[in-house]
Amino acid sequence: MSAAMTKEGLAQILDQALQDVTERTAGVRLFQGDQPLGKDLCTVHITFDEGFDTSLTLCADTGLLVRMARNSFHEEVVTPEDLEEFSKEYLNVLCGKVAGAVFRATQVPVHFGAPMFYSGRYEPAGQAAQFILTYADEQNSEGAQLIHHVSCAHGDGAGPGES
Amino acid sequence: MHRRIMVVDDSRLVRVQLEDVLKGTEYEVAAYCRSGEDAIAQYATVQPDLVTMDIIMPGMDGLDAAEAILKNHPDARIVMISSLAYDETFARAKTIGAKGFVEKPFHQEQLLKVFAQALS
Repeated sequence: MSAAMTKEGLAQILDQALQDVTERTAGVRLFQGDQPLGKDLCTVHITFDEGFDTSLTLCADTGLLVRMARNSFHEEVVTPEDLEEFSKEYLNVLCGKVAGAVFRATQVPVHFGAPMFYSGRYEPAGQAAQFILTYADEQNSEGAQLIHHVSCAHGDGAGPGES
Repeated sequence: MHRRIMVVDDSRLVRVQLEDVLKGTEYEVAAYCRSGEDAIAQYATVQPDLVTMDIIMPGMDGLDAAEAILKNHPDARIVMISSLAYDETFARAKTIGAKGFVEKPFHQEQLLKVFAQALS
């Protein structure tokens, strides 16, 4: 990862990608802030492949993800299956945008695996949060956290967010 | 008369977004395929004016599926729609004979421009 990005550079890419993808796919605007998450949470997690040994986790208020799924699928009622499907596809599109931006900045192709969905908060085993971006919706009533995890073995300096 | 589009994508999110951006335009979705294999099987029956093809799908990927369709139907007009916006992906899509590339998530204006170019 000789051409890896700084942590700050990656955080900026993640922030722009999240705000853009959220507004375009779900019609919801999110703003960085310190909104604490509620108790009813969902998590989607994706791992970067091919030696990056890092992952990205989106942990959000279930109500926010339900609203985003409803807007995206044009469905009044969102089933648990719809919620899982939407959350995975949303993170997939988000990671695609991040991968494209990282590639443009570093010429390092970033590949990622299939997203996994969890009810509640999920912490990937053997990894620690390198940084957390916290978001709130326009009403400041619901929020989400985008967490970049790195391998505990690599400490603070692994993966596309190398510092 | 509407131009008929065959959408090849396993993502429900993308299918709904495509429906949204094509509403009120000269394009209509003639068929949905959730895999490359399905697209190859359906192409001759549907005979679309244009195919939109995702790249990462379960089973055969979209680049291989596009190549297979173009081998049997050299006049097929295929636009790749993917988040994999790497130089190597653009290059392979061009080599195969894809008529355009649209990055996800897409804008209506950008999508329609690429469609028009692909059909010109």
